[in-house]
Amino acid sequence: MYDSSAGKKIAEKRALDKTDQEIMVKSMEDGVETVWDRFAGQQPQCGFGNLGVCCNRCAMGPCRTEPFGKKPTRGVCGADADLIVARNLLDDLTTGAAAHSDHGREVVEAMLATAEGHAQGYQILDEGKLHAVATEYGIKIAGRKKEEVAKDLALALLEEFGTIKGRIQLTERAPQKTKDTWKKLGIMPRSVDREVVEAMHRIHMGVDSDYTNILLHAMRTALSDGWGGSMMGTDASDILFGTPTPLKAWINLATISRDKVNIVLHGHNPILSDMIVKASEDPGLVKRAKDAGAKGINLVGMCCTGNELLMRRGIPLAGSFFDQELVIATGAIEAMVIDYQCIFPAVTQTAGCYHTKVVTTSRKAKIPGAIHKEFRPETGLDTAKEIIGLAIDNFANRNPDRVRIPEKPMQLMSGFSEEAIRKALGGTYKPLIDAIVAGKIKGAVGIVGCNNPKIKQDYGHVTLAKELIKRDILVVETGCAAIACGKAGLLVPEAADMAGPGLRSVCNALGIPPVLHMGSCVDCSRILVLAANIAKELNVGISDLPLGGAAPEWYSQKAISIGTYFVSSGVYTVLGIPPKIFGSSNVTTLLAAQLGGLVNASFAVEPDPLKAANLLEAEINRKRKALGI
Amino acid sequence: MEARCMKTVFVRPELCVSCRHCEVACAIEHSESKKLFDTIHEEKISKPRIHVEVGINYLTFPNRCRHCDPAPCMQVCPTEALYRDQETGSVVVDYGKCIDCAVCAMACPFGIIHFQRVFQLDSNREVNAKCDNCIERQKNGKIPACAEACKTGALEFGDADDLIRVSRKDFTTRLIKSEGTDVEVPKIPANVRAFRAIMAELAELQGEN
Repeated sequence: MYDSSAGKKIAEKRALDKTDQEIMVKSMEDGVETVWDRFAGQQPQCGFGNLGVCCNRCAMGPCRTEPFGKKPTRGVCGADADLIVARNLLDDLTTGAAAHSDHGREVVEAMLATAEGHAQGYQILDEGKLHAVATEYGIKIAGRKKEEVAKDLALALLEEFGTIKGRIQLTERAPQKTKDTWKKLGIMPRSVDREVVEAMHRIHMGVDSDYTNILLHAMRTALSDGWGGSMMGTDASDILFGTPTPLKAWINLATISRDKVNIVLHGHNPILSDMIVKASEDPGLVKRAKDAGAKGINLVGMCCTGNELLMRRGIPLAGSFFDQELVIATGAIEAMVIDYQCIFPAVTQTAGCYHTKVVTTSRKAKIPGAIHKEFRPETGLDTAKEIIGLAIDNFANRNPDRVRIPEKPMQLMSGFSEEAIRKALGGTYKPLIDAIVAGKIKGAVGIVGCNNPKIKQDYGHVTLAKELIKRDILVVETGCAAIACGKAGLLVPEAADMAGPGLRSVCNALGIPPVLHMGSCVDCSRILVLAANIAKELNVGISDLPLGGAAPEWYSQKAISIGTYFVSSGVYTVLGIPPKIFGSSNVTTLLAAQLGGLVNASFAVEPDPLKAANLLEAEINRKRKALGI
Repeated sequence: MEARCMKTVFVRPELCVSCRHCEVACAIEHSESKKLFDTIHEEKISKPRIHVEVGINYLTFPNRCRHCDPAPCMQVCPTEALYRDQETGSVVVDYGKCIDCAVCAMACPFGIIHFQRVFQLDSNREVNAKCDNCIERQKNGKIPACAEACKTGALEFGDADDLIRVSRKDFTTRLIKSEGTDVEVPKIPANVRAFRAIMAELAELQGEN
């Protein structure tokens, strides 16, 4: 017999949020395997892999070096621990950069299809942003239709992926001093795809054997993501679907409806999910849902697709990366629609325990056991309607005896694009800069990243955010970090009560939360633009600003790329989970110390969020002192 | 008769990085084909007889039969399926005699006895398939598969007295010099210590919060 009090104790260890704990207990009662069970099943995990000294690249291997100072010190090819660690790190980082950039490319392609008039249901929603970005690209605006401008811009953005001009236009958004640093180090990204391809070339046996040279290319590849692919993903999404503005919405597993058809939109790219939002308003489909015995259609977001829909449409957010199995375990999900990235391959197995249908939509991301409804901009609205229809038809299969939905959703405020923050400040960063100079706000920290079973879900994010705002440090967030703090009630203006007196007064004056939700993980590019604009207003580099970054619960290769473009742009970054680099003291020292001499920022690893807050505050104070404030 | 000098697989847990090479090598060695790519397709899949499991703080101890003398498992076995190989001193199982009663597992102080199907028997019943000290390999002049597979020296095969001497000398040197230099047992390098400290911190956070 299952012991529910034991289950409750396990759930309290695994997740911070009460609604997560409640459904986790249900998942255990239902015998559903989750990420935590699989993590336990993987123990112990290989130390060679954990230290980064396992190389499985070529057919002379697999190889590993001995970590205790004995032999073998080199792989078959002769690579030592420094090289093996650096190559593995570049490989991981490049996977992350490629994921972001390929996502960006698809949004730009949708923009092109829209401009050319063969995207079904799409339109250019934000002409202001279209004009702003087009101007950066030197595209003529006056007297032209928005579709004409959008077509030129889409082509110019697509050209960036393989450009031969030797630089990405969007890097011009960085302050001069920051760009000068990149030029001096030879890490100015030359195009998006080129850095990824070159990274793959360099990690081939017998190409780059100098760990420092490899890590410099890692920085350049990361910059091609942050100031390239990701930034295009953000901008093109804003142009197509609108630049986010502050709004209020609901979050956590209690956003699942008892009596409506529930559809979870999970993944990262908004191009299909935004169409599903549009289709869900179709009176025919709403009637069909009612005819099926439901009270309507309830769309909820998950992970970064959820963040995209929350930021622009106020669609409720059911949860983060680690909620994807729990949401199914409510027993009330008719369909989970996924695009790509961070989808557990086991999600169809979870869905198989209930009536839930998993719908894959990308040619790039199929899962055995899912229904595949391929999405293309040309037929976007039809596909969206078809998927909703499929969910409605599945409503009859819901078993009310197996449904449990938590009681209380949490309210949150979202929609803080860089443009929205600037507008809230009155069109200029001067009020924010004044507050920083006056010491009301000591600085700002971007908390980003994922969930990881090595740390209790949301504990790292929420504890760090609370600790920082208490110390008058403004927090900006994206991705699953933002979702964590949303669930914990930190994304409402009233949360300013938890902040220090200086930050509290600024938040109260502006009516904003002390923790600002800036979007999905590609939207870390918004944080870069925000930092760049403040630096430019002060005529300094980004590395001079009292800023920090943190990824307390990261797991993804994309987080390695984000962390590296933060540091390469001059933002000190604390990781809560150790990266697989400790097998090489040289690589570890370079990243944790020597980088400071090159970009005035470095990495640190600190799992304890309270100690991480100390590190970040010390860095902010160091930069404040250097600025003479 | 001269006292038998028993060779053993000595464990230095501080050098274990939980790669589980030993587990894989053990499973292959005790399979019918003794080849990795064939082992995984055999009808009775060979499972490792050495167990690398987490204690605390993500640290591991490669646990295997200690071939005790006298051996509690041998003493309690009602069918005398467990016997001692005189040449190597190993405690081995006569699979044909084993009746799967698990009394040996109850008596084992190390909890290393487990039951599985073995290719040596025609029937499908499970028998005590614990570590046999790779006596077949030893008789061919080889060391046990787990010790051979271990890259870090966490598993070392030899005379227990000799292997202990190294640790003893290490301790003596440290005590006299009040420092850790010139020792035979490798010190844990700073980078590995740093990694383990972080994992310990993560483990502690899991426990406390």
